[in-house]
Amino acid sequence: MRIRGFFLFRRYSLLIFIILLLLFALVLMSLRAKQREGVEFFDALLMEISSPFQKASTLIIKTVQGTFQHYVFLVNLEKESRVLKQKIAELQEENHRMKEMKLANERLRQLLQFREKNSPSMIGAEVIGQDPSSWFKSVTIDKGEKDGVKKGMAVISPTGVIGQILKTAPHYATVLLVTDYNSAIDSIVQRTRAKAIVEGKGENRCKLKYLLRAEEAAVGDIVVTSGLGGNFPKGLMIGEIKKVDKKGHGVFQYAELVPSVDLTQLEEVFVIMEPLPSSQPQEEKGKKGKKTKK
Amino acid sequence: MRRILLPLLAGILFLILQTAWLPSFPIHRIRPDLLLIFTLYLAFLFPPIFGGLLAFLMGYLMDLFSGNALGFYTFSRPLVFFVAQFFKERFYLEGFSFQFLFAFVFGMLEGILIFILMNALQPFSLGNFVPLFFTFLLPQSFFTGLATPLLFWLFQKGSSLLFRQPEKKMKERV
Repeated sequence: MRIRGFFLFRRYSLLIFIILLLLFALVLMSLRAKQREGVEFFDALLMEISSPFQKASTLIIKTVQGTFQHYVFLVNLEKESRVLKQKIAELQEENHRMKEMKLANERLRQLLQFREKNSPSMIGAEVIGQDPSSWFKSVTIDKGEKDGVKKGMAVISPTGVIGQILKTAPHYATVLLVTDYNSAIDSIVQRTRAKAIVEGKGENRCKLKYLLRAEEAAVGDIVVTSGLGGNFPKGLMIGEIKKVDKKGHGVFQYAELVPSVDLTQLEEVFVIMEPLPSSQPQEEKGKKGKKTKK
Repeated sequence: MRRILLPLLAGILFLILQTAWLPSFPIHRIRPDLLLIFTLYLAFLFPPIFGGLLAFLMGYLMDLFSGNALGFYTFSRPLVFFVAQFFKERFYLEGFSFQFLFAFVFGMLEGILIFILMNALQPFSLGNFVPLFFTFLLPQSFFTGLATPLLFWLFQKGSSLLFRQPEKKMKERV
């Protein structure tokens, strides 16, 4: 019986291996869904090993591109010189206006110092890689747990919201971009103060969900963070509404927006380090739970 | 040892190219999937167990650097590898058009599988499949197919330099 079993095993060993390997992948998926620490540790370890290669290659690629842009493509130099001369004249004029503004600036600085004391702390990070898959939208940055980066932290740039930290390794982290299908940020329409959730739409687009039909929203309106999510401070620009559709039935209207940041050209980002009060993230979790049930 | 390490390093190299080099191209939306092409090539070059493990690892690494939190590629890449292994002796794979078609079909099938998994396991809806099919999946698979003959040729040259024996075996199979 044992010998027969052994022969059966040998005969079907390949099939058993294939089934086991695919089952293992499904188990990993399930463990990731439950956010088990063992898988997260293994992910962080592998990321830590392979990210330095990624960082080095990004540096090489940027250097090569820079060389081409600065030394090889000198054909437009004369045209550029004319443009620069014109720009100098414009800057001289601007300089006079700046002197006037300097006085106003002195007064505003005092107000700014107060604001800085209350604003969350940030660290700068460099983007070292983009998502290898076209289905998902994320970037890898060169700051990780050792720098204080944690899962869920907000990532921004001077022009607006970029996304939030999805995975962390000791020296690297993955940022889920606002345009990813998994991304959801609590927001308000700046002009009308209408509340909504900004969700990723895959390409360089997001959609406004749960925007009440009774609320006013128009093309060109700016959408900012509401501060309710817990990760993002209030008032950060997310994007501009490009499409509003009230034709359908139901309580909500449909709107699409384009992010204010060009997410395909990201080089440097800021990670907001300071967590907001604990009551707010719980509120967000409650919302996500509801969404999952849907 | 060399037969284990070199394909692994090659896989990491393709992953890096895919994350660091291809995004610098003007069309960000559509990028050939170099790791899918590499996985398909592995199906010709390696035995099922070692190749399957390598495809699994490639999928795992891809998930690691992706916004994909559940790890769909860890499942889909070994599946692609085994299906390609199953069909490798049933198809004539010399020449541009056949290699293009082979990668194109696998790109489409994997895309459909990812779409089904995403819709089934993630809380959000991807929306209608038809617009996604025409604006994303079809062009993405097309470009992957276009890049395949060139990359297969490069892989063949590289593997013939590194391991002469398997190259002969592969030609016999193809």
